Amino acid sequence: MVPDLAAVPLAAPGAFPPLARGQLHEVHCDAADWASALGFALAMAGAGHPGPLVLVRGPGRGAQLLQPCGAGLALLGIDPARLLILTVDNAREALRSALEAARGAALAGVVVEARGALPAYDLTVSRRLVLAAERSGVGLAVLRGDAPPRPSAAHTRWQVRAAPSTALAARAPGPPALLAELLRRRGGPAGLVWRLEWNDTDGTFQPCGEPASPTSAPARTPPSGAVVSLAARRTGAERSRAA
Amino acid sequence: MARAGNALRLAAVSGHAAGLGLVPGMALADARARHPALATQPHDPVADARALAGIARRLRRFTPRIAPDPPDGLILDITGCAHLFGGEEALCAAVRAATPFTMRQALAGHAPAARALARYGAAGQEDLATLPVRALELPDEALAGLRRAGLETVGALAARPAAAIAARFGAEAVVRLRRLLGEAAQPLDPLAHQAPLRFERRFAEPVGHQAAIARHLLALLGEAVRVLEQRGLGARQLLLTLCRSDGARQQLAIATSLPSRDPALILRLFDERIASLADPLDPGFGYDTMELAVPLAEPLGALQPGFEAPADQSAALAELVDRLATRLGPQHLARLVPRDSHLPERAQRLVPMADAPAPAPWPAPAADLPPRPLLLFDPPQPVEVIAEVPDGPPHRFRWRGMTHEVRLAEGPERLAAEWWCRPAGHLAGHGGLTRDYYRVEDGAGRRFWLFRHGLYDEAPVPRWYLHGLFA
Repeated sequence: MVPDLAAVPLAAPGAFPPLARGQLHEVHCDAADWASALGFALAMAGAGHPGPLVLVRGPGRGAQLLQPCGAGLALLGIDPARLLILTVDNAREALRSALEAARGAALAGVVVEARGALPAYDLTVSRRLVLAAERSGVGLAVLRGDAPPRPSAAHTRWQVRAAPSTALAARAPGPPALLAELLRRRGGPAGLVWRLEWNDTDGTFQPCGEPASPTSAPARTPPSGAVVSLAARRTGAERSRAA
Repeated sequence: MARAGNALRLAAVSGHAAGLGLVPGMALADARARHPALATQPHDPVADARALAGIARRLRRFTPRIAPDPPDGLILDITGCAHLFGGEEALCAAVRAATPFTMRQALAGHAPAARALARYGAAGQEDLATLPVRALELPDEALAGLRRAGLETVGALAARPAAAIAARFGAEAVVRLRRLLGEAAQPLDPLAHQAPLRFERRFAEPVGHQAAIARHLLALLGEAVRVLEQRGLGARQLLLTLCRSDGARQQLAIATSLPSRDPALILRLFDERIASLADPLDPGFGYDTMELAVPLAEPLGALQPGFEAPADQSAALAELVDRLATRLGPQHLARLVPRDSHLPERAQRLVPMADAPAPAPWPAPAADLPPRPLLLFDPPQPVEVIAEVPDGPPHRFRWRGMTHEVRLAEGPERLAAEWWCRPAGHLAGHGGLTRDYYRVEDGAGRRFWLFRHGLYDEAPVPRWYLHGLFA
């Protein structure tokens, strides 16, 4: 797939096409980048509409081991009360349920989790999903982990990878950041890479430039003398609360 | 035992207690003084009323007209029913056998007389004239007045002129007396009987053609919808029973999350149900009988859709949930519900849609709470960690055979175990291990939530776990 996204020059932030409603999007990722890809798909689907979001979770150990966390979803701008979690027994059932859900206009979006090859996802099925999404205006995203791209009728195909975040003070990890490559786009240029960073004021992922390298950040140079590093957030409060 | 005014009084007593001389209305303190071993229960009038309604329903087979007489009476209008059970005596015996309670029965030509005989008469008494004047259930001062005048029985009172009774004891006394004697009518208010919602089609010839079956199902639905409309109800559950000509029965059940009487919606749910069957419906030589029952219905008023207003979003969502639940099974649809706990894995719960409470906004996290991951591992994954200093953040960790160099780290966020949930949690060393959570980012930009299980003074070699993944 994509050998090294970091080596590819970033595209202009203004050209970034957000995952539009009423379209089918494919989001490819490695299994290790699953959380980034899911956050990307959910945040994009949930931002445009206040309605409920449907998350279709497939079978398999990988899906059962990882549970969505309500507090974490809330940090990505998705009220967990909006999320409807659908657990299905096989991939065919997942796609049928997604089709059923996409036909109802009351939803903000539908995100289908699929790991590995998805033989049931072919041109016919994806075309059906496209038609349902176009008619109802529901945003559809199929999340494909560790899977080779298959020919499909999807409007866009993305490859998402976690990206180093902009470090906060005291070398703390910053807001979620990821690299998104537009592998394919119907009627538009493809092959562009953006670095997206979570913007808490706007509540969306926004394209931005390279982060300041943590090695050149002033926090990196240790001050003279023994100084205890300070946490970016006041974590000591936890102790009094829990104890 | 019930609270009457400021005193606790006995509301009802068991047969054994009555034998010991306890009576309803006695103060609890007096009763306890006589019998210190007295066992009491709080009085529950609602449960009493429910039990009375239950008995009334059970006695419906004796007569269609049953009126409850709260708190503890039932009036059965057995006009034209007694001969079916072999006479009045046999009917009384059958009613006694059908209820698990001791009871006093009385038969009379009209309801107030029967009621007074049962409540105030001796067993087997039929003569109204010898009933005490208490049977009129007049206010206390009127009763006292009657007694002062030497009028002890209903017969004695009835012998007086009505005008004089009304002048001295109130018009109510005359009305009650005339009702008791059957001179004035007192209408009975029987429990309304709702026929169960069951609709049936029987065929002279078995029906095996799919189009014909669909047509008959539609007709049954039309009937059901008409009746539901008349009663102002909407179906929550429907049960279709198909009886094959060789005796086999097939049942299809559907449920809706909102009461509905929309035939198109119900038909779509039946379609989903049929499509999800493991072995498809086989009409064989055809169906003899089709029966549609509505086991559960709830009130549903007539709806006035707006001409221009957008369609109701919640109804559309409920319809989608019903369709998916009918196909996948209700346990496959779930919603996250917050719980009151500071431990991340206990702070939420995945609840099936059917049992989930109405969606409410997620509680806002405390302002100083560090971020939580998007995905949580259940259970947490053990990892091997090398830290720079024992109490410090991880420097490098190994998970699933991959080594991750930590580039950025934040922490610790210290979460104590819920010692109050443990049997001996308040004792030192039994409260569970404290966790130190670190938010770390590796060189590739992946963000993890790691924790060290136990402080160094709690566990000699604390273990490290991966608990979540950040977006």
